[in-house]
Order: sequence, then C-alpha cells, then structure tokens
Amino acid sequence: MPQLGRAALVVSLALVAYALIAGAAAAVTRRRRLAVSARNALIAAFGSTVVASTVLVVALIRHDFAFTYVASHTSRALPTRYAVSAFWGGQEGSLLLWLLVLTGLGAVAVWLNRRSRDLVVWVVPVIAGVATFFAWMLVVVASPFATQRAPFDGAGLNPSLQNPYMVAHPPLLYLGYVGLTIPFAFAMGALLSGQTDERWIVATRRWTLIAWTALGIGQLLGAHWAYQEVGWGGYYAWDPVENAALMPWLAATAYLHSVMIQEKRGMLKIWNVILVSLAFCLSLFGTFLTRSGIVSSIHSFTQSSIGGWFLGFIVVVVVLTIGLIFYRLPLLKTKTRLESLVSREATFLYNNLLLVALCLTILWGVTWPIITEAVSGEARVVGRPYYDFFLRSFGLPLLLLMGIGPLIAWRKASLRGLGKTFAWPAGIAVLTGVVLIVLGAGSSTPGLIAYTFSAFVLGTIGLEFVRGTRARHSLSSEDWPRAFSSLIARNRRRYGGYIVHAAIVLLAIGIAGSSAYQHVTDKKLARGESLNVGPYTLTYRALERSSNANATEVRAVLDIRRGTQLVGTVRSGKNSYTEPAGTVSNEVGIHTNYLTGEDIFVIAETVYGNGTVSFRVLVKPLVNLIWLAGLIFLLGSLITLWPDAREQRRLATRYAELGSGASPAR
Amino acid sequence: MIALSIAAVLAIFLLYTSIAGGGTPSIRPSQLAGHSSRVSLTGVVVGPVTGDAHGSGLRFLLRDRGVAKGASRVAIVYTGEVSEQFKVGREIVLDGTLKNGAFVGVPGSLLTKCPSRYTAKPQGQ
Repeated sequence: MPQLGRAALVVSLALVAYALIAGAAAAVTRRRRLAVSARNALIAAFGSTVVASTVLVVALIRHDFAFTYVASHTSRALPTRYAVSAFWGGQEGSLLLWLLVLTGLGAVAVWLNRRSRDLVVWVVPVIAGVATFFAWMLVVVASPFATQRAPFDGAGLNPSLQNPYMVAHPPLLYLGYVGLTIPFAFAMGALLSGQTDERWIVATRRWTLIAWTALGIGQLLGAHWAYQEVGWGGYYAWDPVENAALMPWLAATAYLHSVMIQEKRGMLKIWNVILVSLAFCLSLFGTFLTRSGIVSSIHSFTQSSIGGWFLGFIVVVVVLTIGLIFYRLPLLKTKTRLESLVSREATFLYNNLLLVALCLTILWGVTWPIITEAVSGEARVVGRPYYDFFLRSFGLPLLLLMGIGPLIAWRKASLRGLGKTFAWPAGIAVLTGVVLIVLGAGSSTPGLIAYTFSAFVLGTIGLEFVRGTRARHSLSSEDWPRAFSSLIARNRRRYGGYIVHAAIVLLAIGIAGSSAYQHVTDKKLARGESLNVGPYTLTYRALERSSNANATEVRAVLDIRRGTQLVGTVRSGKNSYTEPAGTVSNEVGIHTNYLTGEDIFVIAETVYGNGTVSFRVLVKPLVNLIWLAGLIFLLGSLITLWPDAREQRRLATRYAELGSGASPAR
Repeated sequence: MIALSIAAVLAIFLLYTSIAGGGTPSIRPSQLAGHSSRVSLTGVVVGPVTGDAHGSGLRFLLRDRGVAKGASRVAIVYTGEVSEQFKVGREIVLDGTLKNGAFVGVPGSLLTKCPSRYTAKPQGQ
C-alpha cells in the first residue's frame, strides 16, 4: 500500500512537471495539440493525487501504524471521523491536501475555460508550476508514505482537537489558501499571453469568491472553537498563525472590490494584478510562517526543514511576478482616469488602500521579530495594542465606506445627489449615536463610533432593499414578498454583496460590543459566596463531581441574578482525563441571552481541595452577533456565487464584442 | 496617488512602531541576564510546579526550547489565568520583568502553546 501511494505521487509529479514544461513550450510555439496535451496532464495529475490521498485515508481508517504518518497522528482508540481528520493534522498530510485541492480546482478551472484558448494556454503551466513545487515536496522532502516497523499503538490526537470544529476548520482554510492560486494563475496567464482585458477577472470571479468565503468561514470556525473550547474568554489573539490567515483574506477582499472598477471602468489593471499576487503570496507566506517556526506562536506545528523550501519558493514567485508585471506594464496602462475624488471609483480606491494598509501593518507586526532580530540581534514582538490601534484606525473608516461605496454615483457625485442619497442613513446614524450616549455607551469612543457607523451602513443597506423592492412592486405588479425575492434573484451580485456587507456590520458590532463594553471580574469564592460583574450577581451554589470511564468531571454551579431576579444557572469546571494521563481541560460555562446576544462566560480557573474555586467571569455583550454574522456571510456569498444565466448571456455578448471589435494587444 | 497614499500609511506605522518602543524584546531564558525592563520570555516549563496562581503566585522553572539538560533555567513567579494546556514540558510565552533573580510575570500574560499532536517522548527532552 505505501508503495502505491509513493508511486501515485511520483506519477503526479511527472504529470505536473510535464504540464509545466509542455504547457510553456506550447504557449511559446503556439502548438495547439501540445497545449491540449499539457492541459490533460494537469487533469490526470488530479487523478493520481486522488489515488495517493485514498491510500492515506484507507491507512488512517485501518489504523495501519506501519505508516509513520498514521502512527504519529492517530491511535487505536481514536474514532474514525477524527482518524480521517488526521489527514490534515500533520505536515505531510497537509501538503498532500494542498496538492489534491490545487490539482482538483486547477483541473475544473482549465476545463471550464477550455474555450478561451488564448487565455488558458498560459494558465495551465502556471498552475502546473505551483503544483510541481508541492508534488516535489511530497516526493522528495516530506513524504506521507514513509514506513516503519508498526508500533502497537499510535501517538494519538490532542483531545482539544477532537472536535467537529477542528475537522472543518483546517480544510476550509486550505480551500481558501489553495483557491487563491486559481485567480493568481489566470492573472499570470493573462500577463504572459498579453490578453490583459478583463476576461481573466470575469473567469476567476467565482473562484476568488469561493476561496474568500472558505477562508472567512474557516477563520470564524477557528474563532468559535477558541471561544468555546480553549476557554480564555476571547476568540482572536492576534497570534501570527491567526494573522497568517487574516492577511490573504484582507488582500482578497480588496481584490474583490477593485475588480469591479476594472470591469466597469477599465481602471486599476496593475493594481488588480498586484492584489491577486499579494493574496497568493500571503497564503504561501502563511504556510511558511506556521511551518518554519520562525516566529513564536501559541499554535505549535511540526517544525521542520520545509520552511526553507517555502521561503525559496516564495522568493521565486515574488521575483517572477514582479518581473512579469514590469514586462507587461505598457499593456496595463489604462486610458480612463479618476474623474473626481467623490465618486464610486474613488470610494472603492479608499477602501482598497485601507484594506491593503491594514494587511501590510499586520504583516509588519508579524515580521517585526524577524526584522529586529536581523537588525539588532534581538527579536522584539509587538502585542495586542499595536494591532488594536491599526484595526481601529483603518477598520472604522472602512466601516463607513461600506455604507457610502455602494450608493455613491460613478464618475462624479454631486453634493445634492449625496444629500439625497444619504439623508436617511445619516439621520438614522445620528439618532443611534444620541440614543447610545443616553444609554451610556459613551464609555468607549471607538465603540460608539463603530456603532454609529454600523447604524449608517445598515441604514443604507435597508434603504436599498426597500427602494429596489418598491420599484419592482410598482413595475411588475408582483406582491411584496415576490418582488423582494425576485429583486435579489435578478441582481445576485449586488444584493448578495449587500447581505455580505450586513454580515460584516454585525461582525463589527459583535467585536465592538464584546471588547469595548465587556466586564471582567476575578474572584475566589467559597460555597454560598457571590461576586458582581456588570449588572449581574453570581452566587456559587454547589460543586458537583462525577466520573466516567474516561474522565473525572468537576462542575461548580452558579446562579445568575440581575437585581433580585434569577436569570439562569451556569455550570463551569474541569475534566481530568485518564487517557492521555494528566490531561485537564477547562469546561467553561456560557450563559447565552439569545435576545440580546450577550454571553456570561464563567471560567473555573482553579478548584481547590476544600471546594473553594477561583472564578473569572466575563460579560460579553453582543458577542453572539459574531457567529450570526458567519451564517449571514455564508448566505450572502452563496447568493452572489449562485449561477446566473442572464449574467452569463451578458458576458457572452461582451466577449463576442471583445473578440471582433477591440482586438487585444499582443 | 496610490503610491503616495501607501507611502503615507507606511510612514505612520513606522512612526508608531518606533514611538511605541518597537515592541517588547522576545527572548529565551538563557538571554535573560542583563535585561531589567519588560520582556516576553519563551521557554519550556520545568517542574516542580508549586504555589497558587490565584494566591501568592505559581512557581516553576523555565528553560530554553530545544536544549537538553544543563541549560540555564530561570525561576518564574506568576499570578493570573493559567491555560488548561499548562504543564511541565509545555512551551509557554510570558511577559514580565526580572526582579532579584526571579522573573515576575505580568498577570494574565501567560500563554501556553497547544501542541498539535502528542509525541511519546520521555519528559525533560
């Protein structure tokens, strides 16, 4: 069996290397049959990678400890679903997953675009080039099919990773990372072939959206897992590994917005190529960061020599990309100029600059220890205040722009037009601000600004839906619900986008509420004693102990009161596991108010022999909006992604015009 | 314009990082000697772990990562939250200052790395 896996990977390597060389040769010499052969090799490489992956999955399910990888990441007692999740639990498996997703997405992407021959001819060798790197790593450097004399049992999987979140979180992040290769490959393909019209952007819009959605949802799942399982009361710690996933997401967000400007106005061509390359390079950099152990992180992965390989690959990609952009600079010049600083184009540009600035400041913070160590010999780290400062400085204006951007006029907006468009939302925002100050939200200025801006954005989005629905209702005499649903169905990109915006606003409200307005109390309590946190009083009533085959569980029971009224009861404690011996997990108690989205988060820090317990209690207002935002984000993304026959026809007509009329430069 | 704006932004954050002192030094226990200001210490927990993190303080030793026995160790005193992952042999990150030969942690700054997997290595290696 391991021989089959190894052989399949060698075949994959040979196929992608062939696709790279033959594809490039075909593109240069313009030999069509060779190009088709290269494309087929790339598709076949997916097949052989599937074979290799199947071998690994079967070995994991059968607990075949003769595979070093299986023995290092699973044990006999591990349930099958978690044994399968060990596929991406370790380094070699992660690389294999990367190659699998890359060849899979690549095969589908080149097949779907097979008719745009002049564009795809260079896409095949670019995807094959990236795949060659990963196949090389798997064959030569880090094989998942290394064998050993089978031990009686494997090393097992960390209990905190034996969790449905941890089954879904890593593959979603991988789908995001790897998915960014496709738009990157089309961008490079467009540059190499000189077809720098917006076709590559249209061809990859859905790919970028899929990757971006997967990356976003993957991160939120990770945050939710951290919140519920790790139990320190937070969900994001600005850790380098978390930032590694956030940076490409920010770059991809900027890209998704700026491509609209290129589609509508033919501007920002260079910028778009730079953004998509940045997003791709950051996804490689993220992998390098997590695997090389170059900066210290609370996530520790297997550290090995593959960091150096990744660094080398990143350097090659960056140098080639920059070289190519410079080489094709004359083709990327645009005739259209920005007409006014108050226009939709300009707003999108500000949005882009803020997103990229946020992305780069995070990158700066992450690489700061490396830079300072190289310069002064001593690594220095920047902490939470650094990141929080920039999140506020760039995030709050971004929030405001999210309300302005979609409604402001193209080209040049008049002052009167602005007043008309934004009178209602601005009024709503001001009113919200005043009400919040009266309610006492003035204790945090950034929080107050975030809420006021959020009200503004929600106002504009709501107004858009109302106006659109009313227009349809009066034009087509559909009843209200039907007018509403057909409004969305007929403009999926636009209204799906608004829904995603609404999700981001909810996310901002959740983050602002749970950080700017949270209450924390630490106190050691004996039974019968109470502590106060925010408007609540918690009374430690009893300590429950129970044992099962695997663990001893201790739970402190607390009554939550607001004034004299009993709000609820919460249990918080620890589990001491018998296997692996000495493992203790914090089992936090969370009392959720579904009406207000507030959580009362109780951590039993230390349980003493005499029944006294050290508690840490956090009241986190609106925190559940963050998770709700995830669901709405997914809904909005799915709406924008949903195939739209009308849009396809529009694009087909446009291609025909492009093909006959404006012949692209070569 | 794009270039100008990016340059302005770069200038702001360069200014910020230099004004804010450029972050906290991130060092290993063996490099601690001579540091009197606040640092971020990364190392591996060496037992025995005694005391109470919610009382007089949790006490243990910390050594460099990847160095076997005989490496320099530093005594740690810490109060505040302790992660469930904390135990002997785990790698931690802790902010604090060196006072009278012991490293006094900033309350609440203790981070314990979660191992992505268990490896059956004997303790202390």
